[in-house]
Amino acid sequence: MVSLKEMKDKGYIPQRMYIKMLLAGSFSLTKTLLLNMSDLKKLRSIHEGEERYVRPPREYELPEYKTSMKICKSDEKFLRPTLYCDHTEPEVVALANKLGAFRKPDWEYAESAFYLVKEKMTLEILPFNRVGETLIRGTGTCFHLITAFIALCRAAGIKARYKIFAMNMIQAWYDAVVDVDPLIKKWYDSMGYFMLEGEGEALIDGKWVVAHVGPKAERQAAAGIPITKFGEDSIGNWFFAIPGTIMKMESIPYGFSTSTKLLKKIAPGSMERVNISILKQIEKGRKIIEEAGGLESYDKKARGGKKPAKPKMEIQTKKEIIFED
Amino acid sequence: MTISFNEYIKKFDNLVQDYIPPRNNWTPADQAVYQPKNYFTIQIKEAQELKFKAIKYQFKRHFKQNRMYHGFCKEMKITDNDIKSYEDLEKIPLIPGEFYKDYPTGRDFALWLANLFTGEIPQVKITGKNPSFDDVINSFNSSGLVVSYSSGTSGRHTFIPRDKRTFLMSEYAIAKAALSMAYPIWEYDMHGYLLMPNPFKTNIYAGKVCTIYYDVIKNVKAAIDREINTDVIKLSMVGGDGLKSKLVKSALARMNKKIINNIIKWLEKNNKEKNKIVFAGAPFILHAVTNKLKEMGKTFDFSDRGAVLTGGGWKIHEDKRMPHDDFRKQVKEIIGIREEHCLDAYGMVEGNGWMVNCPEGHYLHIPYSYYHPLVLDDEFKPVGYNEWGRFAFLDGSTYSYPAFIISGDKVRMLEHCPVCDRPGPVLEPEVSRATGKEMRGCAEELRRMISADLGG
Repeated sequence: MVSLKEMKDKGYIPQRMYIKMLLAGSFSLTKTLLLNMSDLKKLRSIHEGEERYVRPPREYELPEYKTSMKICKSDEKFLRPTLYCDHTEPEVVALANKLGAFRKPDWEYAESAFYLVKEKMTLEILPFNRVGETLIRGTGTCFHLITAFIALCRAAGIKARYKIFAMNMIQAWYDAVVDVDPLIKKWYDSMGYFMLEGEGEALIDGKWVVAHVGPKAERQAAAGIPITKFGEDSIGNWFFAIPGTIMKMESIPYGFSTSTKLLKKIAPGSMERVNISILKQIEKGRKIIEEAGGLESYDKKARGGKKPAKPKMEIQTKKEIIFED
Repeated sequence: MTISFNEYIKKFDNLVQDYIPPRNNWTPADQAVYQPKNYFTIQIKEAQELKFKAIKYQFKRHFKQNRMYHGFCKEMKITDNDIKSYEDLEKIPLIPGEFYKDYPTGRDFALWLANLFTGEIPQVKITGKNPSFDDVINSFNSSGLVVSYSSGTSGRHTFIPRDKRTFLMSEYAIAKAALSMAYPIWEYDMHGYLLMPNPFKTNIYAGKVCTIYYDVIKNVKAAIDREINTDVIKLSMVGGDGLKSKLVKSALARMNKKIINNIIKWLEKNNKEKNKIVFAGAPFILHAVTNKLKEMGKTFDFSDRGAVLTGGGWKIHEDKRMPHDDFRKQVKEIIGIREEHCLDAYGMVEGNGWMVNCPEGHYLHIPYSYYHPLVLDDEFKPVGYNEWGRFAFLDGSTYSYPAFIISGDKVRMLEHCPVCDRPGPVLEPEVSRATGKEMRGCAEELRRMISADLGG
């Protein structure tokens, strides 16, 4: 039984901003679903003759767990087990050892964990589960994947945490996907501020290094964007965080898994269609990378015209600005 | 008898004396904005000289007095000594518009704004431990500055720190550009309807910049006569289902109905009194008015007595995009205002440049005496005329921040208008958003799911 102190200490009790976004998002989604029941009724299941989702085989070998394997047993913040992220689970320990935990330097090890999760695991929309299960399956939502990365880091004694934020999409995407249909527009407009996205962060040499493990290289290629490296942020590249919504957390909070469970219950067919579409994207991206002459040349090309230089803003106090309580 | 253009502009300048600094205080920037009689017919050579001096002057100031921009220029290996000739203007480092959207919250937001300013700022007192955006902006503006922002359809506003002088220039420029293009229809005694929030009750740039409308038109009414701030925008656009949001949305819905009815009554009154009228602002409101009149089977004939200047607009209220041609035709058919008196302006919060379309061909003419337009390719290098690309500009008018900006809009620029004989460069009328990098993620996948499912 988790004590109230532990709940607070580990961040199981959601932050205020998180509760606000979760409640607002849930209300909006419920309203949209209720007002569009007939459409949803039609779409909630996969009909006969429709394409079905077949989970791709795991792309990496999961070694057998041995009790002799080394593991971080610290109870320090960002190193201890948290909700859905227990790095002492056998699958995590075994994989961490295989990746070089306690043998490789921290950056090198975290980078190996990053590439394994990002490139060998596949995005699949499904309800939340313990991290070991995710590693056995080799698929999960971006939050499953972030959790896998964090667990692998913690297993190797590297502090790791979640970075969660509400994001919005770029204008062109809005125009192409949302603005074309009043119903979608209604849904997006009511949900727009409350869509959560996330990244992992590992503490290396005193600095938090970001790990955006959600998209595989193929999915990034399908979207025409560069292949993210360890330490590269998604914010500002293809996501924009709503100001004031970035939250750093030791743990996924209570209630987080409810939405995916609910969605699975309400619209399993829709979830399956998304997963089919993800596999198609991966296939499309694979071809794009091949045509570009490989991963490196694709990335080089994608980065070539990426974005212009931007000034750096160091916020300094100014004597003219006076704050009064 | 038709008034001469010189007389026409003289009348305008007399009305807006408070917007023009005393001539003996003019800098090259003021000269470029206030000196030309007509932004769109000034000789190219003369305009280029004014523009070069203005941009060079402002670049030097921002380079020397703006810490953020100085650092950026150093990083780009450009100094104020590098801008020697007109051709060197393209060396000036451009700031992506996104930069002005990347702001912190609370007290840090106030410091962020203060750090954007070029040169000295007055004392600004901010109360509260966690001030809202509106609290901070109102504090800055109470101190004599004019911080304004974009409507922020996507959830993030663009905040631009203008000082009073820079803001007055922008107001002057939009009025002069519109009036020049509308020559000779404008008269002070016209009756105006501002299809925007009341400029005195908002800090949204597109609304606030219309304050000058009240000085150049005798009788003005504002369609949205309540306070519009970032909170109201957020609640009306995406605010969720909270009580506050519901109240705001229902108030706005009631207000929208009232606006349409008020405008129809106003049209009836002015029709009866044979007054000359001018609408300025968001096209969707006028579109809604014409739709309602169509339903009522009612038409007016303001053919010699009416003009329309559209621009801005809130995307959230546009369920359908209406091509400009159709809009003009509908206005003519229902209200009787001639198509050539229906003008559209293109501008943005990041700059003081106002492009207004010509009555003859409806191409967007650029005010080339103080505003240097550029079209950039995928590598963000300038391309020539007739090429599609990202719109960017060097604005020689802004004192308080470097308005050397890369916008998010996709345009094509032509060296001259293919229809009229005004000598300067133009943009093709339909400006669209540049295609950004598509993004993906779990949340995005869920969005796709709903799109694919409900859309299909």
